[in-house]
Amino acid sequence: MEELEQPLAERLDLFTCIQCGKCTGGCPISIKSPLNIRRVIRESVVREDMRVFFDRLEIWDCTTCSTCAIRCPRGLRPVDAIIGLREMMIEEGRIEKTIIDALDGAYKYGNPWGRAKNKRAEWAQGMEIPNALEMDPGQVLYFVCCAASYDPRVQFVAKSLVHVLRAAHVSFGILGNKEVCCGSEIRRMGEVGLFEMLMEENMKNFTKIDPKTIVTTSPHCMNALKNEYEDLGCEVLHYSQFVWGLIQEGKLFFNTEVPMKVTYHDPCYLGKQNGVFEEPREVLRSIPGIELIEFGRCRENSLCCEGGGGRMWMEGTGVGRRLSEIRVEDALEMGVEAIITACPFCLLTLEDAVKTTGNEEKIRVIDLMELASMGLGVEPEVEQ
Amino acid sequence: MDIIVCIKRVPETAEADLVIDESKKGIDTDGLVFSINEWDNYAVEAAIQLKEAEGGKITVISVGPEENNEVLRRALAMGADEALRLTDPAFEGSDAYAMAKILAAAIKDIPYDLILTGVQADDDGFGAVGVVLAQMLGLPHAALVTEIKKEGDVITVHRELEGGLEEVDTLKLPALLTIQTGINEPRYVSIMGIRRVAKKEIGVKGVADLGLSQDEVGEKGSMSRIEELFFPPVGEGAEIIEGTMDEKTEALVRILKERGGMA
Amino acid sequence: MEKIAVLVEHRQNEVRDITFEMLTKAHQLVGDGGEVIALFLGDVSQKGLLDKITPHAHRTIAYLDTALAQYEPLRYLAAFVKIFETVDCQLILMGQTAFGMDFAPAVATKWEIPFTTDVVDIQDEDGVVAVRQMYSGKVNAKVSLKGGEKQLCTVRAGAFPADDLPTVSGELQEISGAVEGDFSARTFVEYLEAAVGDVDITQADIIVSVGRGIKDADNISIAQELADALGGVVACSRPVADKKWLPKERQVGTSGKTVKPKVYIALGISGAFQHQAGMKGANTIIAVNKDPKAPIFSIAHYGIVDDLFKVVPALTEKVKELRG
Repeated sequence: MEELEQPLAERLDLFTCIQCGKCTGGCPISIKSPLNIRRVIRESVVREDMRVFFDRLEIWDCTTCSTCAIRCPRGLRPVDAIIGLREMMIEEGRIEKTIIDALDGAYKYGNPWGRAKNKRAEWAQGMEIPNALEMDPGQVLYFVCCAASYDPRVQFVAKSLVHVLRAAHVSFGILGNKEVCCGSEIRRMGEVGLFEMLMEENMKNFTKIDPKTIVTTSPHCMNALKNEYEDLGCEVLHYSQFVWGLIQEGKLFFNTEVPMKVTYHDPCYLGKQNGVFEEPREVLRSIPGIELIEFGRCRENSLCCEGGGGRMWMEGTGVGRRLSEIRVEDALEMGVEAIITACPFCLLTLEDAVKTTGNEEKIRVIDLMELASMGLGVEPEVEQ
Repeated sequence: MDIIVCIKRVPETAEADLVIDESKKGIDTDGLVFSINEWDNYAVEAAIQLKEAEGGKITVISVGPEENNEVLRRALAMGADEALRLTDPAFEGSDAYAMAKILAAAIKDIPYDLILTGVQADDDGFGAVGVVLAQMLGLPHAALVTEIKKEGDVITVHRELEGGLEEVDTLKLPALLTIQTGINEPRYVSIMGIRRVAKKEIGVKGVADLGLSQDEVGEKGSMSRIEELFFPPVGEGAEIIEGTMDEKTEALVRILKERGGMA
Repeated sequence: MEKIAVLVEHRQNEVRDITFEMLTKAHQLVGDGGEVIALFLGDVSQKGLLDKITPHAHRTIAYLDTALAQYEPLRYLAAFVKIFETVDCQLILMGQTAFGMDFAPAVATKWEIPFTTDVVDIQDEDGVVAVRQMYSGKVNAKVSLKGGEKQLCTVRAGAFPADDLPTVSGELQEISGAVEGDFSARTFVEYLEAAVGDVDITQADIIVSVGRGIKDADNISIAQELADALGGVVACSRPVADKKWLPKERQVGTSGKTVKPKVYIALGISGAFQHQAGMKGANTIIAVNKDPKAPIFSIAHYGIVDDLFKVVPALTEKVKELRG
């Protein structure tokens, strides 16, 4: 294995770390995993040979929620050290089979689930959504996301968002089968080269389309397109931001009462990493009948669902409870009927947790756009 | 220990909807994803692990069009040292016998202790090139290998038989082995890794360079010929249970009870 | 084809089933006037096996020599020199088995015999025209063999059922003369039995089997839950065992175990031939797969075309309810 050009500690300026431990103190995974991010930073600074890390499977437990980066008094980003180590392990090639499959899938099929490219837009069949590549410039591009395109549960979110956009008479288009993975999770798993490839492919299309706004289903896509892609020359918004904007402009109005006691789970990539806390709540509050009760751990302290950082493709080494199960049980104690969220990974992991804790009769997990659909009187096609 | 690995570039068909092309002798490959034959990937990994333990040089060879550079480069990125592509319109239509002739002609100029091929290919599942090649080169061979250990000039291999049974054999080098899936866990090859070998030269040879005549390769040089491809007849098949999830699971439970599926 | 030779496959003092399948097909192809010849290589201690063969071939040619006590390709190739001097035929059949794949291509190459492999059907159209499968079993190919005094086919196990294997009064012909040569380049050491694990799936009445569709090792727990609820065991197809998500002893298929349970539930298994071979004897086969074209549906008795991650938990729930 060739050494990466610059040692990790130098690249990330980890020498200024004072080992205060606020990072580990706030790390949600530390409850259940041997991963100790403070120690990882220390070792990165002290060790010459980083190869000792290659056997430490807990490096893959990190969800990249970035709580550590938010809390660091020195402004360091310990999460980047994890990603840097993963980059090395990727180069070495010795990584879990499920991660290899996810990366191979993204490379060959444009999505980590390895699903056929020509089935990416099947969710939109019959909905007659315009092809973004044939739109006039200056419109809205709806960037759907791999999960929303292929996962049957999350497809309802995409459909709901389409209902909402149409109710507000927004002119928008989708890339359809030409959309490829934003690369967010690919980057978090350490495959820089593949991320760049995916970015290049998407950007070629973005340039052709020349949209005014890109709206995403997933906070992960929003984060990648907004903060990690080269300058797109347009605004990139998560749907919660865009939809709140529509409400404020009077273009969207919820005419149907949805009497439900709910709580809202802040997705890490939306809240912690991009400061989008209020917009989803404003959208919720605009739906008549909704009673919002906040989690104790909300906003910046939201408990990570363990879906990010590639965790959708690895269970992790930790033997403790799934954080998503703890979240579900907290919600049950609060007496709410549903957990509302705004991220496909949160939706899937929380719903999974509802099932594994045997609480399907007691609580639901609903995406914000599905709720919004209900507020428009559109019956969501969620199965029984 | 110098090793030659023969690799094939094949379409991924397990999840795809296939269409037989106009000639009726091939499938429409439009929209299909191509990659290294799964067995050959295990073979490349096996070669690299042997090289890591014993030292030596690995040469990967592939017969096919220019697109085969993809799989050759990937093998280089994995750890192979040299890559050779055998390309010529005359090679088209080669069956396993003609294919082995082509490979043998290229291999005779390369020093080696061991040749590895995959047990069979994803596309035609023929499973013979390796053993034919061994016979042509006068090498001892073993097919369906699931373990390789080297001790001096002798290798000990495990062969996978039926029903979980295995056979242990020793072979004197030079030898040829056909590699079975599951022998190891092939390492991941990163895009950056592939980029790093982008400038590495891949040798190319055609029919004349190999000293072969047109009649020895392709359809003319083959012993068998595909006359026609067709879709297998759809048998009576399963009774598909329809309905809501509730109805479907109800039906299943009934069937399970009736058929002794609930102990 | 008037004369077809079948190479008897035997191991550890048992004649393997493929032999009888090939003999049955050979009889079918030669018809009433033709001759089916069984070829047997082994040593004197294996002579007893011939009792199973001679009634089913018009002529059995046995080459018994201590050098042939254990299969090694170099030895068998040397023996075949004499075999070909002794016997004439238009077609030779061998199994597409671990033995056949190791040996048949070597014979074909050494004597330049046109051959094809893994056939599921053979026609005599003035030379062999065979059918074989390609592309994950989704497409069949008609293959013709060109020329040659003799031709060779390796036969897929199970392709030609041996139910109607004729009995004929066959003569036994022994070849004499030592098999000579330097066979040291490859030497048989020993057989290794599969490790006996905690679960013997071949003894189970109810099997819940997972394939590639299970996507992740952790998801196997949903299959385990169903198996527990039903009182069965969990098994798998090859890809799952290759990834070590389940131990090899749970693998069903040609390179794993053959099972004949009362109920076999295949979850996310495409049904590649090698897997089918290991379970098609099950009494009731239920397949759950998202792909309506998956080959498993052609041998399953009942099928559900749906996402196993939805079906299985729902089914487990129902079963548990029933049991109270």
